[in-house]
Amino acid sequence: MPTISINRDLLFSALGKCYSEEEFDELCFKFGIELDEVTSDKLIILKEQGTERSEGASEEVIYKIDIPANRYDLLCLEGLVQGLQVFLGETGFPPFKVIPSQTVPQRLIVKSSTCSIRPYAVAAVLRNIHFDQNTFNSFIDLQDKLHQNLCRKRSLVAIGTHDLDTVQGPFYYEALSPDSIKFQPLNQTKEFTASQLMDLYATDSHLRHYLPIIKDSPVYPVIKDSNGVVLSMPPIINGEHSKITLKTRNVFIECTATDLTKASIVLDTLVCMFSRYCQDQFTVEICEIETSQGGIKNYPILKTRQEKIDVNKINRMVGINEQADKVADLLTRMCLTATVAGNGCLSVTIPPTRHDIIHACDVYEDVAIAFGYNNIEKTLPSTNTIAAQFPLNKLSDQLRDQLAQAGFTEALTFSLCSKEDISDKLRKPLSSIPAVHVSNPKTLEFQVARSTLLPGLLKTIAANRKLPLPLKFFEVSDVVLKDRQRDVGARNCRKLCLVYYNKSPGFELVHGLLDRLMQLLEIPLDPTGTTGYSLKACDDATFFPGRCAHVVFAGATVGVLGVLHPEVVTSFDLNLPCSALELNVEPFL
Amino acid sequence: MAIAHGEKILKYLEENGKANSLRLSELWNEDHQKIVGTVKSLLCLGDVIEAELHSSVKWDLTEEGKQVTTHGSHEAQVYNAIPPSGSTQTEIMTQASILNAGFTKDMAKVGFSKAMSLGWIAVDKSSGAPKFIQKVSSIQDVVQEHLKELASGKNMLTNELRTEIVKSYEMKPGSSFSTSVTKQETDLTPEMITSGSWKTKEFKAYNLNALGTPVPRGHLHPLMKVRAEFRQIFLEMGFSEMPTNNYVESSFWNFDALFQPQQHPARDAHDTFFLADPATASDIPTDYMERVKNVHSHGGYGSQGYGYDWKVEEAKKNLLRTHTTAVSARMLYALAQGGFKPAKYFSIDRVFRNETLDATHLAEFHQIEGVIADYGLTLGNLIGVLYEFFRKLGIEKLRFKPAYNPYTEPSMEIFSYHPGLKKWVEIGNSGIFRPEMLLPMGLPEDVSVLAWGLSLERPTMIKYGYDNIRDLVGPKVNMQMVADNPLCRLDKHRGTEIKEPDYLQELDIRMDSILTRLRGIENEVSKLKKKDKGSPEKLTLVIEADPIYPPLSVQTLIRILMASRNAPVSVTIHQHSSLKKACSADLMQWAKSTISNVSRVDNLFNLTWIWKPVGPRPVAKVVNHYNGDICGETAVARLLARILESWTDCAFYENYDLNTTAEIDDWLDMWENCIQSGDPNFVVLINHIYNQLNCSDGRKWLTGVLPGTKSLADVFLSTVLGHKLNSDRAKEWLSRCNSF
Repeated sequence: MPTISINRDLLFSALGKCYSEEEFDELCFKFGIELDEVTSDKLIILKEQGTERSEGASEEVIYKIDIPANRYDLLCLEGLVQGLQVFLGETGFPPFKVIPSQTVPQRLIVKSSTCSIRPYAVAAVLRNIHFDQNTFNSFIDLQDKLHQNLCRKRSLVAIGTHDLDTVQGPFYYEALSPDSIKFQPLNQTKEFTASQLMDLYATDSHLRHYLPIIKDSPVYPVIKDSNGVVLSMPPIINGEHSKITLKTRNVFIECTATDLTKASIVLDTLVCMFSRYCQDQFTVEICEIETSQGGIKNYPILKTRQEKIDVNKINRMVGINEQADKVADLLTRMCLTATVAGNGCLSVTIPPTRHDIIHACDVYEDVAIAFGYNNIEKTLPSTNTIAAQFPLNKLSDQLRDQLAQAGFTEALTFSLCSKEDISDKLRKPLSSIPAVHVSNPKTLEFQVARSTLLPGLLKTIAANRKLPLPLKFFEVSDVVLKDRQRDVGARNCRKLCLVYYNKSPGFELVHGLLDRLMQLLEIPLDPTGTTGYSLKACDDATFFPGRCAHVVFAGATVGVLGVLHPEVVTSFDLNLPCSALELNVEPFL
Repeated sequence: MAIAHGEKILKYLEENGKANSLRLSELWNEDHQKIVGTVKSLLCLGDVIEAELHSSVKWDLTEEGKQVTTHGSHEAQVYNAIPPSGSTQTEIMTQASILNAGFTKDMAKVGFSKAMSLGWIAVDKSSGAPKFIQKVSSIQDVVQEHLKELASGKNMLTNELRTEIVKSYEMKPGSSFSTSVTKQETDLTPEMITSGSWKTKEFKAYNLNALGTPVPRGHLHPLMKVRAEFRQIFLEMGFSEMPTNNYVESSFWNFDALFQPQQHPARDAHDTFFLADPATASDIPTDYMERVKNVHSHGGYGSQGYGYDWKVEEAKKNLLRTHTTAVSARMLYALAQGGFKPAKYFSIDRVFRNETLDATHLAEFHQIEGVIADYGLTLGNLIGVLYEFFRKLGIEKLRFKPAYNPYTEPSMEIFSYHPGLKKWVEIGNSGIFRPEMLLPMGLPEDVSVLAWGLSLERPTMIKYGYDNIRDLVGPKVNMQMVADNPLCRLDKHRGTEIKEPDYLQELDIRMDSILTRLRGIENEVSKLKKKDKGSPEKLTLVIEADPIYPPLSVQTLIRILMASRNAPVSVTIHQHSSLKKACSADLMQWAKSTISNVSRVDNLFNLTWIWKPVGPRPVAKVVNHYNGDICGETAVARLLARILESWTDCAFYENYDLNTTAEIDDWLDMWENCIQSGDPNFVVLINHIYNQLNCSDGRKWLTGVLPGTKSLADVFLSTVLGHKLNSDRAKEWLSRCNSF
């Protein structure tokens, strides 16, 4: 969920009203955003860098506000204020308009060389704009917020904004080899080639995250004007030459992308938020995009969609009973201008700022929000069903109760562990274990899904060595095993594992508990191993030779018990004899 | 031995009524420690005797000191060792050690210089080698005299002393006093039962305040106990358990089936554990996958779709499921295939997130999920079900916040009011599954599916008061914690959990604390009252007050107390170093001691007044008597009123009848309420005063039957509110109050 930082005083002055913190918090809650933190530049620096650095920093109050991930239209002060004012019924929603160029429209020509790296580009012009320091900052911040969220850290879309008066159209978007791109990047004093820039930014705390998007490509995307001046090398950096300043009057906005839909949404969002500062408010000048296939498309699209929505359906879904005109009012407050269209339907206008509205259900939600979630009458569904437990869970719980009654204490350990935990430490080769491997573990603790419960219990003993002996722990839980029969190639297996740790191994005690479990499951001892259960001596590297047996039930091995091998004991930082039993629960269902 | 001594002590007690162990040790010439041992064993016998431990500091002579008492001070010994004709230093030393074998060189050194400075001896160099001669004919050895006095019990300080802390018992006969001591049996034995000797034996009482012996036992894990409780709640509500025993899931079921786009941040390797082996899923139902692909890339079912290039490779990537909703998707798909029937499902099982770990987040946790699928379900239904669900957990106050979730629309975050934190906290997520998720599965168009989810760990941590999730889950858990963990009764609020405030109970607790404080004050007052029968006890009161909020009423009461002349008051006024601004002279001198001698002698009311930034609530502490601080202007005023009553014996507050006292309390409470409810202008209170004073019944004071009695209420309110009152009657009242 993106968080935006808004200067409180600017916000209240834009809203034309001062709120107490509680009042504003309440308003946010109703509107579906969250006042997360109240702070100031000074406090932030104080927290992160200490008292000294915070000296002289601004003490103006900053509201940090959480915005739902799909509300790109609320990611800046301008959008937030507009959204809240419309919500409060204080203003209407502005009519955004695409206007033709007074001369020749700007054109961006997309070369087919971009297809292999970043195939799409869109553009627009904000004409006769007037920034002040606050709005300028907000403009930059919004680009940053969009980059982080909708643009997926610039991988899907990258935005470049330029002072149109410093460059000369038409513009060319192409992909060139890194060494043939040379320009002075933003905030640098000399020219670099693209390859040099990769090195330069490799240590840049901000830009280095974007390098991998193009780094290994043989060609890098670049936008130049008709004189060959580099505007930007998306998605990394803009050129210094065309950078926008407070004095910029005409802004050329380009978005390059791997996802055209998102590029168009980003462009719409940016121009809608800031066209209010144009001389001709809420207008944006058209740009022509010559696609790599040769066709011409106009941007920004700023499409306003009309939807017919059934009022009854709204009432039914939300669980309210409101008249059509009331529902239309509610929607209008959510920036979805609605009118009663007859036949029990509303005509709902979805503006270019609300790209999150993709289905009627999104409209239902906005009705519910405007009505107030907490004003909806609580009702119980008439759904009548008979409940059932998942049999494996029921059996597991019954066995857990019995183990606790037998004096064992339940541990709860992790499903993920290191490769070593299930192999080396248990004296078994990893290749012999049908374990599921994680491809992107952040630490050794998450390398594999456990194939046995034993390591977790032994670690639990290690952490509890100071408790009085004997230590008697158990766990009944799932392990994960590879299984080609399953659609995903793996399955869970419900295991029961218990350990006894004392000065003497206590094999007979663990054995006795197995007998007790079998008694509870009504399974007789049957040395022939055909109908009941039996123990069969076996060799298992985890256990001490001659002190280990398989549990055989109905002809199949369902578990193992024995005295742990001293090397297993020591590999878990233990030093006393330990007996263990691990049993597959599923055959006993 | 001990018993023999014990009987001796008991006899002594019988004869004398009380005894002190130290005194007995002197009397019987017995080691004090032995006596103390005997006293302790007597105490074990029950209420035979009562004993109180006293510790006192005793001065005793060191070896050096003892030498002085027998042989005289070092200087005297030197003096005595000099023959009338005089002698060299060496000869004198020899002579001194003949007189006293313990006389060392160091002592001699001290002796010579001291004797010289006292003018007892002198150096005579007339015959060549320097000789010491006696300068005076006789000396008075004061040091020796003093030490002798001390050795005999008189108290003085010198270097020849060492201090010893002596603990002694002050004894008196107990409730079951007897001079004979019989040994008590600790427990019943089989032999006693057989022989019947139990009939005549005495048995030692059990110490019921000690804990019993722990019983050997096994335990279930706390998290699993909470899981059992949630499971039970779902079953009670008719929800069937989903088979969630598949941690490995394909991206398709985990994300795509839920209409979560392939570029969604949750599908980043930063957030999700993908698998290296088995890396991909083999089987995805073909037509269903095609429908999912279409709705993502082009829309359909009334949706615009996301408009991107959906890739099957992405969908086939295996992962560790990030939510149990993946299982819900499989269940709903199965439900659609077999001819839809309304269903209610739940699950509580592990999910995995490749996120940053901290005190409350682990890479795996348990998700609780509930799902209802039926025709015509509404958002109101979801809200209703959630209220019932959380009511079973003992949570009554809920609030819903609009939220965003890719697979639910509408989406609601569930908040509950946390009485401990005094704010709303998020406890779960909920919503109605999107048509883009349900319709491709083949569910009928008018079927809605409600769902909600929460973590199991979070409520467990709140329930049992854990700050760090590692203390609850994983191999590092202290199993003693598992053993000691109580039952899980989610609808009961006990133990570590912060309880929903019960208004009445809160009042009870407040009442109790007030009563305790009152008892403390009562003790003070009763002690003070004893002054009639002899001298009143010394009272030392420390009041801390903020110069920004001077407690006028308290100051007035102190002035009244001082004016009564019955109480010799010693006042010292200080300012605390934490004050930002120095106090004005007025503040530093608002009260003067009524006695000139400000040393703190007995039988005096000592007031220490400290200006300190304590805010609007002054704090009073009664030194040495009663530990609780008395906070707030009304509370301090009440304390002073009681002190005033006890020193002057007038009726002012509690010396009135109960009704009047209650009336006075009402007035003070009203003032306190105004402050606490943010009525800084005291509108309500002032109206009450006007109403009271404007009665045409000729009442003169705020309380009591006509014409009223002057009381604490009058003094208090006239002081703190006087400047705000302007009616004629009020002014008359104010002047009456001032003449009080």
